Amino acid sequence: MEKKLLKKITGSREASLFLVLVILCMVIQIFSPSFLTAKSILDMLKNNAVIMIMALGMLCVLLVGGIDISITSTLALSGMTVGMLLKYNIIHNTLLLFLIAILVGAICGAIIGFVVARGKVLPIIATMGFMYIYRGLAYLIARSQWASAENLGGFKNFALEKELGLGILNNVIVIVLVCYIIFFAVMKWTRIGRRIYAVGSNPEAAAVSGINTKRIKLLVYTLMGMLAGLCGALAVAVYSSAQPNMLYGKEMDVIAACVIGGVSMSGGRGTVAGALLGSLILAVIAKALPLVGIDSIVQNTVKGCIILAVIIFNVVAQRMMQKENLKGREM
Amino acid sequence: MAEKSGRTISAQAEQSWKKSLLSWEGMLVFLFFAVNLLCMIISPSYKLTNVLREMPKYLTEVFLLLPMAYILILGEIDLSVGATVCLSATTACLAGNAGIPFPVVILIGILVGTACGLFNGIAVSLFTELPSMIVTLATMIIFRGIAEIALGSGGSVSLKHNEGFRALAGKIGPIPYIFFAVLLAAIIFIFILSRTSFGRKLYAIGSNRTTSFYSGIHVQKIRLVVYSVTGMMAGISAMFLVSVLYGANTTTGTGFELDAIAMAVFGGISTAGGKGKLTGAMISAFIIICLRIGLGQINMNPQVILVILGTLLILAVMIPELLKNRKRKQA
Amino acid sequence: MSEYVLELKGVTKIFPGVKALDQVHFSLKKGEVHALMGENGAGKSTFIKVITGVHRADEGEIFLDGNRAEFKGPKDAQAAGIAAVYQHPTSYPDLTVTENIFMGHEIVNNRMIQWKRMTQEADKLLMQLNADFKAADEMGTLSVAQQQMVEIAKALSTQARIIILDEPTAALTKNESEDLYRIVDQLKASGVSIIFISHRFEDMYRLADRVTVFRDSRYIGTYESGGITNGELIKAMVGREIKDLYPKPEVKTGPEVLKVENMSRTGYFKDISFTLHQGEILGLTGLVGAGRTEVAESICGITKPDSGNVYIEGKHISIKHPADAMREGLVLLPEDRQRAGLILTWGLGRNLTLPIMGKYAKCGITNEKKECETAKQLLEEVDTKAVSIFDPANSLSGGNQQKVVVAKALSQEMKVVIMDEPTKGVDVGAKAEIYQIMGDLAKKGYGILLISSEMPEILGMSDRILVMCNGRLSGELDRGEATQEVILQHAMERSSQ
Repeated sequence: MEKKLLKKITGSREASLFLVLVILCMVIQIFSPSFLTAKSILDMLKNNAVIMIMALGMLCVLLVGGIDISITSTLALSGMTVGMLLKYNIIHNTLLLFLIAILVGAICGAIIGFVVARGKVLPIIATMGFMYIYRGLAYLIARSQWASAENLGGFKNFALEKELGLGILNNVIVIVLVCYIIFFAVMKWTRIGRRIYAVGSNPEAAAVSGINTKRIKLLVYTLMGMLAGLCGALAVAVYSSAQPNMLYGKEMDVIAACVIGGVSMSGGRGTVAGALLGSLILAVIAKALPLVGIDSIVQNTVKGCIILAVIIFNVVAQRMMQKENLKGREM
Repeated sequence: MAEKSGRTISAQAEQSWKKSLLSWEGMLVFLFFAVNLLCMIISPSYKLTNVLREMPKYLTEVFLLLPMAYILILGEIDLSVGATVCLSATTACLAGNAGIPFPVVILIGILVGTACGLFNGIAVSLFTELPSMIVTLATMIIFRGIAEIALGSGGSVSLKHNEGFRALAGKIGPIPYIFFAVLLAAIIFIFILSRTSFGRKLYAIGSNRTTSFYSGIHVQKIRLVVYSVTGMMAGISAMFLVSVLYGANTTTGTGFELDAIAMAVFGGISTAGGKGKLTGAMISAFIIICLRIGLGQINMNPQVILVILGTLLILAVMIPELLKNRKRKQA
Repeated sequence: MSEYVLELKGVTKIFPGVKALDQVHFSLKKGEVHALMGENGAGKSTFIKVITGVHRADEGEIFLDGNRAEFKGPKDAQAAGIAAVYQHPTSYPDLTVTENIFMGHEIVNNRMIQWKRMTQEADKLLMQLNADFKAADEMGTLSVAQQQMVEIAKALSTQARIIILDEPTAALTKNESEDLYRIVDQLKASGVSIIFISHRFEDMYRLADRVTVFRDSRYIGTYESGGITNGELIKAMVGREIKDLYPKPEVKTGPEVLKVENMSRTGYFKDISFTLHQGEILGLTGLVGAGRTEVAESICGITKPDSGNVYIEGKHISIKHPADAMREGLVLLPEDRQRAGLILTWGLGRNLTLPIMGKYAKCGITNEKKECETAKQLLEEVDTKAVSIFDPANSLSGGNQQKVVVAKALSQEMKVVIMDEPTKGVDVGAKAEIYQIMGDLAKKGYGILLISSEMPEILGMSDRILVMCNGRLSGELDRGEATQEVILQHAMERSSQ
């Protein structure tokens, strides 16, 4: 019975990740006793909310075998839109601003989806191009200015208040939770979720069985854009400013979170739980490094090495499993 | 052989002037002249001497275009070239400031670049299941991360003694050395690609890796060589870049991979592999360079230029695909 | 009300350059098991794709229960109750069996998938089929036979009235085939009509009520399974007597040219040993999955065996890469010529000279002139139906493509030629020409290893026949003593178990 349980834990990617996360937290707790306090954890969640939410969108994109490196540019574009609307006193309603941000993101994502699905452009190339286009547009909207805390007025309080959380949880954390719950439900319990997995696992079979792969791809990139747009407004609130270079280079964090979380870059494999655990582990590692005496300047190199190590580990593990399977075949 | 039909097969290739003119390369030549005309109209200072003076900075990227074309023809992609340039330039500057003699500094710079390329090559040829996009995405982060660590908290380094590098930026008459270097490199790369068996093997691998392997081609060895050469060319590019910038920082080389891919794709090299000629890529390189110089002279917002480049990249990939579809529907 | 649940009249399907179906007829009665037989390339696969809505017929009509039907796509056919189980499963390797079975028609309640019920239903279906795996297993971990069972379960889950089985027993052992027969009986009893494609006569005699034969994209005839003999069937399928087809010359075999000793590769084959002589045609046959292609690929350096030795003309050689094999005179004509033998977008000349560029090149620079000359000469030698050496390979028919692959081999310095399924997907005319070439090569003194699943081909061309079963050699027969029955027996079980 024990052996079976152990096998189940190591067999499930999510379970092993959970174990890793627990171990990491315990190690950090030893070095920094104030780590596992409610305030510290909630702060960490709030600061990483943007990465965590976008990891959900990246999950879906990766599941269909694509990739999107333009997400932070979309985020910047929608964030600057919100910032400028506030700065020039055009709109002040928080809900309306969020909706506008999501809409901007949706349009950005839909264009990418169209180019990838109908234009048949490789996702890496398409999103590389849009990364520059959207970032450039963000700068253009800014017109060499940026929206500082005073310009934002009451909007920045969104990140401090607990309205949505019924007075208990911070707004931002509530949004993260809501997103994760929605995506978990959709991926597990709806037919659309199944179709997304199918398109990534075997595109030809999916097309032959009548699934509209183009529409699914368009959907997935639009979703990614919407989440990036949402995070644009969120980032403005959390960081109390809107600048065109917001989250520059952070798209790698989102990809790293998914890769660590066991999402396959060739499609068809990965879960919402994995994305969650991956982004949590990434956040925890970022916090842990300074405690072990590793400067934050090393962070990028560490992230890159982790991504490389994880994908190589995946390959090695798969090769070993195949070898085992072959041994099992009686000759 | 009994009962042959006595059929003869022609070994004569069809030649036609019309075909050459209407080909993608022909169109590019036309575009080159059109762009130059446009620049002359919008910018009063667009004169030959001025253009020659500003070109070296952009010509450094052509060193990256040549091996990137090889990689695209193989059906792969290398996102880490910009980061390799950054690391190579950083190492060279630091070495120069540490008092190491100039020729050794150059050697170090090129070796660092080659080492980065070799790392990529070993990773992709040992773990053939890993797509080059993901590996080079990770190494992109790692290489630039190492440069960040080396540069420390300042984030940049400037050359203390720049006699050596200034010599590198010298001229013969009105034409800087780098022109000749680029020309030489281009001739070598174009010759190898179009007239040697090595070049044809690249096309073969990009068109059908399985058949190439079955036909006795050393696929993994060739991939290793191409990635290493890419690294080496990035090192060379970095040396010329330092001779223009006299320093390096954490953002050196950003966007170089986009430029290299854009030039290659615009020049007719397909991202799917197995197709395209370097001559077209060279023409499109100069189109993009002249465009950039012209737009820069009228002080166009650098972000707008990025938007234009991003759009060009996507159009360059989409248009041939759409044309192919229309041809197919007509057939 | 028609007695036929499915009928096709005068159906034609044309692809660029080839007529895949030419005015074919077909009729299927309710609750009938109907076999469809014919050589490779006779049009059976296209026929299935037309019935399942993947392709649209260019001419002709389809009738369902007597009413005219038009399938605009696979979904229409699915809705009409038609399901196909293919030889190469079109499944999702990363997903579980349950997900694969119910993909596209999941059990939902208020738009929410009911996982528990679905898994239960899936397990029920698997139990019906006597499966030895569970619905929660991942598709990628299953064997081909198991995946096929999942496909059948999938068809059952869609309440299909017409189920098409494409070579269902090709990858199965004897026991598994018996399980399949039982399943077919069950389905028939429950009113499902079945079309199955098979090359095996015992499948046909055991299961089918009627059998239809296609040849060269045309409908030849429909017969009662009880009222036709093997010979008559073969004649209908092939169009002429076997003897005409196989011009096996009498060749005096020379000394040993290839010796394979105790070659093994975990999971694929074990203890393979045999010898091949100059001028000899050695046939290697067995069921799909027996490991024949894997043996050939290990000999030729495509894959690395775990143990074993290879000797060419008595000399021990070490092969780590296909280039090594080619250097020693071992040439392989791969099983999948489109994926591994040719670069379809390239011209014929370039394809042909791909392995020998170095021979004519000076300091790495290719010699276009010499290559064009060689290509022209070789392509004419095998009588390729092409206009110019610059014709793209994908513009040729299957038979001509195979001839180009053969010419590609001829361009190299050969001692041993391994031909893996050389006439698969090749029309009858080109087949005869390829056999002719094979005979000529034997006469010239090369050693030929002929790997084939086509019994008539093996019997007609080989001097000796090796049979593999489940990764091991199970029998060696001389030309004189070999019959289809004996070969099949060796192919399906090993006497030294």
